[in-house]
Amino acid sequence: MSWAFDNASMLAHLTGQNAYLALVPVLIGLVIALPLGIASARWGWLYPPVLSITSVLYALPALALFVALIAYTGLTNTTVIIPLTVYALAVLFPSVVDGLRSVPEPVRQAAVAMGFGAWRRLATVELPIATPIVIAGLRVAAVSSISLVSVGQLIGIGGLGYLFIDGEQRDFTTEIVVGIVLIIVLSLIVDLVLVLARWLLTPWQHKTRAERRAAATSGAGREQLVEGL
Amino acid sequence: MITFESVTKRYPDGTVAVDELSLEIPAGQIMVLVGPSGSGKTTSLRMINRLVDPTSGRILLDGQNIQDSDPAALRRGIGYVIQQGGLFPHRTVEDNIATVPVLIGWPKSKARGRARELMDLVGLDSQMRRRYPHQLSGGQQQRVGVARALAADPPVLLMDEPFSAVDPIVRASLQDELLRLQADLHKTVVFVTHDIEEAIKLGDQVAIFRPHGKLAQVDSPQQLLAAPVDSYVEDFVGFDRGIRRLSFLAADTLDLDAQPIAGQDSTAAQALQQARRSGDAWLLVTDAQRRPRGWVAAADLESLPGDTKLADVRLTTGHGHTFRVDSDSLRAALDATVLSVTGQAVGVDADGRVVGVTSYDRLRDAIQRAEGVPAAEGVPAP
Repeated sequence: MSWAFDNASMLAHLTGQNAYLALVPVLIGLVIALPLGIASARWGWLYPPVLSITSVLYALPALALFVALIAYTGLTNTTVIIPLTVYALAVLFPSVVDGLRSVPEPVRQAAVAMGFGAWRRLATVELPIATPIVIAGLRVAAVSSISLVSVGQLIGIGGLGYLFIDGEQRDFTTEIVVGIVLIIVLSLIVDLVLVLARWLLTPWQHKTRAERRAAATSGAGREQLVEGL
Repeated sequence: MITFESVTKRYPDGTVAVDELSLEIPAGQIMVLVGPSGSGKTTSLRMINRLVDPTSGRILLDGQNIQDSDPAALRRGIGYVIQQGGLFPHRTVEDNIATVPVLIGWPKSKARGRARELMDLVGLDSQMRRRYPHQLSGGQQQRVGVARALAADPPVLLMDEPFSAVDPIVRASLQDELLRLQADLHKTVVFVTHDIEEAIKLGDQVAIFRPHGKLAQVDSPQQLLAAPVDSYVEDFVGFDRGIRRLSFLAADTLDLDAQPIAGQDSTAAQALQQARRSGDAWLLVTDAQRRPRGWVAAADLESLPGDTKLADVRLTTGHGHTFRVDSDSLRAALDATVLSVTGQAVGVDADGRVVGVTSYDRLRDAIQRAEGVPAAEGVPAP
């Protein structure tokens, strides 16, 4: 443990780098997934081919991508960010499409019938309703991206992945354990932030006190409640 | 006024949803489109706000071809209510209702103020304004749907089976509410349903559709029940249309019998004499305000001491359902008569005072009079 305290500034730096290398791809992935998903939800025929492409990209080994990219982008952050963006996109694209498809047809029709234009409908009706599903996708993408960054260490840019390689080479288990713990902590924090964001963005999904009580009360308990009334 | 001029909707696969529909929907009235599924009634409705465009023919709104208008602008001037409510799940009740005012550029506070007015109008507690649709019952959701459609005060209201997903009791109260609103608002309402009872209750005019989008008959509900144009319409309006027609005949056409009625201060002897004179087996006992108390059988009076006040006599049976002579229909009078143990039902005035009692003979006479049939020979004079 004292090793961790002695090296706190290095650990903080590595954690920051790991967060940066993991989350920038998720952000870029979302920026690409939104228009792609919106287009695929509107023109259904687009969805299968685009989904096939993103799924195939997802299946490519990260290491192979890093190596292939070095020729173009060298040993830079970009070489790590591009493959991770592809993986984030592969997770987020179907989430955006599923989210938009979760808008109930009567709701969409009502919006059209009340005179919403296509863009306004998208921005004020469809995307808000899609938010919970998109955020569910973001949680998966962010957490897997955080752990995938370590693979970048094989080309020397891997955030907390440095601790695994270094610990292994020096046969120093503490360093590896600290690396694992920090990755888990970072994942939990990012996940928590996303859960909080969903809570703030989707107030209609908050359960009222009465609803929570009803959900918690079941079987015999509910009968008592009814008798009590 | 909305006018359909030979409107046809044919889908690419050759299905004809609406076939040469010509129909005039007068302003300020409720026009109900009714028919089995696949008869084109919903398609016709959805052509009015251009959710569906016709293959041929024209639809005019106050003389303007709607095909020449911008769809979004057209729709903002037409209220729309659908079966599942179509409420925005992510918006509160007041923001749902304020949707169209906000769309047409009202400031948010003014739009919300309008939303509260409308909640009051459709009978929603203003405490519900911050709730989300999923926290409301089906009936409340439909009320929000109606309020939302009325928010920008559009002259035209389209309603696509708005009440068919709620239970019958809630449905009846929503229907009454719509009629109450319409009496104040005089909107041009186009209402789609597959329920002929609902059509007859709500419609000023009812358009009955055949399968594949052909119009069978357009008429007032009375006329549809009295004179269906063919066996299709006759079957559609139902086998008990004879009874249902009575809904449109006022109970005040009944010649009620005032004979078998005795105040509670009369004695048993007086009452018995009265019953023997008129030949009635039952006497209706009334209280001091002439409100009905119940029936006593003439036979029961014979065994009582002659000076017993009727007030102290045990009544043989209650007075059963009464009907209002000034406002109820012959159907209500018939219904009360059928349900009555004595075969006679009590007609009352607005204050609940007895006007007279029915009998089957008197009902038959009233119905025949309403139909212009001369009373048959041998019917006892009233």
